[in-house]
Amino acid sequence: MATGAEVEAVDFEPEDDDLMDEDGGVDVAPVDASASPRAPLPKLKSAITGGASSSAAARKTKGRGFREDHPDAPDRSTRLAASNFDSLKSPDGPGPQRSIEGWIILVSGVHEEAQEDDLQNTFGEFGEIKNLHLNLDRRTGFVKGYALIEYENFEEAQNAISSMNGAEFLTQTLTVDWAFSSGSSANGAMKRKNTRPPRERRSRSPRRRY
Amino acid sequence: MAGGAVGDVEDMEEFYVRYYVGHKGKFGHEFLEFEFRSNGMLRYANNSNYKNDTMIRKQVYVTSAVLKECRRIILESEILKEDDNQWPEPDRVGRQELEIVMGNEHISFTTSKIGSLVDVQSSNDPEGLRIFYYLVQVC
Repeated sequence: MATGAEVEAVDFEPEDDDLMDEDGGVDVAPVDASASPRAPLPKLKSAITGGASSSAAARKTKGRGFREDHPDAPDRSTRLAASNFDSLKSPDGPGPQRSIEGWIILVSGVHEEAQEDDLQNTFGEFGEIKNLHLNLDRRTGFVKGYALIEYENFEEAQNAISSMNGAEFLTQTLTVDWAFSSGSSANGAMKRKNTRPPRERRSRSPRRRY
Repeated sequence: MAGGAVGDVEDMEEFYVRYYVGHKGKFGHEFLEFEFRSNGMLRYANNSNYKNDTMIRKQVYVTSAVLKECRRIILESEILKEDDNQWPEPDRVGRQELEIVMGNEHISFTTSKIGSLVDVQSSNDPEGLRIFYYLVQVC
């Protein structure tokens, strides 16, 4: 199954180039830019993005990064060419994106004293949990506040989202949603309700009510 | 919001995070870098020329739920209130960069690598550097 999934990894698709071209280092949401004009971003120093822009900063800036580059600074222009990023193949319509081994959901609002077992018990109800990450705050040692849970099947993940989003868990209200999306959320098409990947089209499970 | 890979309008507020850590040495320019953008694009790059390895580059889109959680973590860290002017300068051992655009604030911090809390305590701004030290371990 993992080997089958590997095949889905493809090079970055050229039609998305407008999101990552070098001169547009500042255009965080170029697709959206014409629809809702806003103040241009100050120069970003990212090598991934390209980072070159003449836009004036209309916001408070702070840090050494705004000084001229040090002579010993890494050469950002060649650090990363803004192309050839690997990504998983996206379905035509926007919607949740499958990961290599399954469907990953983000659970936020997790109580700081939650244990992995608590999540396992609650979220295992919707299907076998393939992976569970419950990250800790490195300073306090308590739960950072979120968890990532991976299910093998779309339906299991969708069911967990529908059932647990807004539910109470260890006295706190959870927010549960997909972690990955198949496209830019700045894209107008994303405003549609999430569409299913074409290969697995089935009717949506009804939302559970308490 | 359930099942929504759909971004709420308020979630589309300007947001950008980039973290870089790296150095130049025997195996070339070895570094790790990632960035999140407002539209959900998450990019990751990792380079080393060790044993003729080549650059790893990954790209994915995260949902507005993930961006919101990143924003929460950053806000709660209060990193935006700090300043890197008393932090150790990057050196031969390496450098770290943290760039964040949120609302009307834009920080672009640069410092050396931090081996352990000892480096934090012995710096000129242990309180501020400690926030950075812990934040970049969860980002």
